[in-house]
This record gives sequence, C-alpha cells and structure tokens, in this order.
Amino acid sequence: MADILIVHDIDIKGLDLDKDKYAIFQASREVKPCVGCFGCWLKTPGKCVIKDSDSDFAATIPHMQEVIVISQLTFGGLSPNIKAVFDRSIGFILPFFCSIDGEMHHQQRYAKRPSLRYLLYAKNISDEEKATAQKLVKANALNLGADNYSIEFYDSAAKLLEGLK
Amino acid sequence: MKILLINGSPKSSISSSELLINALSEQLGSSNEYVTIRAMGLSKQEFLDGFTGVDAAVVVFPLYVDGIPSHLLRLLYESKDELKHIAPNVVIYAIANNGFYEGEQNTLALNMMRHFCNSADVQWGQGLGIGAGGMLSAAPIGAGPLKNIGAALKSFSHNINNKISKDNLFAQPNFPKLLYKLCVHLVWRQSARNNGLKRKDLYKRL
Ligand SMILES: Cc1cc2nc3c(=O)[nH]c(=O)nc-3n(C[C@H](O)[C@H](O)[C@H](O)COP(=O)(O)O)c2cc1C
Repeated sequence: MADILIVHDIDIKGLDLDKDKYAIFQASREVKPCVGCFGCWLKTPGKCVIKDSDSDFAATIPHMQEVIVISQLTFGGLSPNIKAVFDRSIGFILPFFCSIDGEMHHQQRYAKRPSLRYLLYAKNISDEEKATAQKLVKANALNLGADNYSIEFYDSAAKLLEGLK
Repeated sequence: MKILLINGSPKSSISSSELLINALSEQLGSSNEYVTIRAMGLSKQEFLDGFTGVDAAVVVFPLYVDGIPSHLLRLLYESKDELKHIAPNVVIYAIANNGFYEGEQNTLALNMMRHFCNSADVQWGQGLGIGAGGMLSAAPIGAGPLKNIGAALKSFSHNINNKISKDNLFAQPNFPKLLYKLCVHLVWRQSARNNGLKRKDLYKRL
C-alpha cells in the first residue's frame, strides 16, 4: 500500500510515479473551505463532515510515512487550494490541549505520524517570505506531531517537478 | 474616515471575530463611517467592491493551522493585483484570534497579512494577535477577564484612527491558562455528549 502522500496544487500528469508507493491528492478549487464547525472533533471524530473529494483526506494521513506538500508559496504560506485541504485536516489531531515547551498545543489522535516535506514554488521569493515559510513548516510539524520535517524552495513548478523525478 | 471591517470567520453562528469587530468599532468611535463584510461566500468582485473609497481596512479572522483560513486567503490572493486601483491609499490592519492560549501564536498569520500587503503594494498598518479566542464571549470585551483584550484594542484603534504603521501587538485574557484549558475541555465534552457521542468516541482512530 502507498505510504507516501503527495498533496499538490499543480499539473503533475507528466509525472510517472509508482502507484504502490505514492498516493496523490489534487488540491483544487473544488475542495470546499472549512466552515469552522468542529464536526471533525465532536460529530464524526477524525473525519470532516463536508462531503466532497476531500472528505477522507484526514483519515489517510495516519497511514502514511511521509506527506509531501507541493504548493505555490503564497504570502509566505501555502496556496488557497492547499490551505483548504489543511484546514479540513484538523480531525487528524485531538481537540484536547496539552503543553509543549510551555506553549499550548493539541494532543495527538494517532501514535504514528508521518513526516512533513514542503516543496514550495514561486517566482522571486523574498527572504522575508522564505523566513515565514520556514517558521510555518516548523509550526505545522509541531501541531501535527511530525517528528521530522523539511522545506525546499523552487522558482517554478516545472523546476520543482524536475527535482522530484 | 471610512473603515472597512472584514469578518474572516467562516462560522455562520456568532464568532469571536464578530465579537472583536463589535468591540473594535466601539473603540474606534462614532466619527468614522463603517462598512462590515463577511468574507465567506463572497466573490472576488464583491470583496474588492468593499474597498471602494476606504481609508483603512481591518481584516479580522480566526487562526487556522497557523495561517489564514482558506476562503479568506483565496479572496486576498485573487484581489492582490487589483486592490491598489480600488483603494490606493488604504492602510490594512489585521486581528487574528486563536484557540490556544498564547496570542503570539498568531505571529505567522499576521506576517502573511504583511506579505499580502507587500504583494498588493498597499500599506501595512499593524497586526493584533489575541489568544484564548474560545473565551471572548465569556464577558464583555474590556471587562473582567477580558480587560487585557480591551486595553490592546484601545492602542490598536488609536493606530488605526491615525493610520499609523507599528509592530504587532499581542494579548490574551487575564485568566489562568490552566483554567482556560479545563473550561474548553468541558465545552468539548459537553458538545460531544449533545451530539450523542461518548467520551471515548472522541479519541477514535480511523
Ligand atoms: C480548521 C481550524 C484550524 C485551527 N487552527 C488553529 C491553530 O493552528 N492554532 C490555534 O491556536 N487555534 C486554531 N484553531 C482555533 C481557532 O482559531 C479558534 O477557535 C478561534 O477562536 C475561532 O475564531 P472565530 O470564532 O472568529 O471563527 C483552529 C480552528 C479551526 C476550525
């Protein structure tokens, strides 16, 4: 079974990936935005209550070794399409709080959690945006309980795909 | 001054963002003209139209996964090239509120708002990060445990009224962290029970 999940916002048709190894999720405009209902914690724990292609996304994460996020760098963060998927993935963690290094965070739902690898692309990335993105992957890894994380920047989606081949 | 207040919470029920907008406009005073819009469900054009003739805009939103909620992020992204033509002199401010206790956890989302302003080539004013957003309905903002929030809103609105750009501000209720945690856990368990779930159902693994 695939144990590397690629969630992306680009056209990767040309990329020939081993289906036994990779699960691929296209983050598109069709993924509806989170409505802030907390249903994924309090109604159908672990799963978003909105019905569309993204409904089962959060439940696939614990079965992965690694999640690769391919996103256009947007204001130092993730693109709107990728962000819609992320916002609807909080069922992956528990609603309950805990303390990590004196700061409040969430308790983890799953014992096994994938590492996070961010591949971000944009033209003319400023140092400031880069710094924000570097802090973001760290913050996301902390909240999603990922022990390992990394980030790479590319100046176009095409170059990023080259690197992936 | 004409001030645009943007509610970036997707919630249809009363949100912490809405409570903050109400308290902020009170602080900003009655000499301004206010326009309030909810970002959820708006088209890019409707969003941009909100900026017509506006001197300052305050984007008020919940922190989602250490960033800006996707529906709001999409509108910002889609509007970035046209905003300057509609409101060339607008100064943009932002208030992010989050579920965790520490208001500083909104830093990255507020940075993203600043990067948005750079990319749209409009002036960034200031960000205000408010922690323990889950308890903003516990008292009138500015009173009791929310005294700190009122004080932060006061300096923030002074900067808005004078279109001043400043470093970000952070605040959380003057209420103990441990008690906040216990209260929120209680609310979660109660809501789950109302949904017919048992305590252990909340820990379900899929
Ligand atoms: C999808 C989602 C993601 C969230 N991510 C975070 C987070 O990363 N950090 C945090 O402190 N709170 C997080 N929260 C909690 C909200 O920021 C908090 O509940 C806020 O008070 C909601 O504000 P509102 O009522 O204006 O929508 C998240 C909530 C949701 C629904």
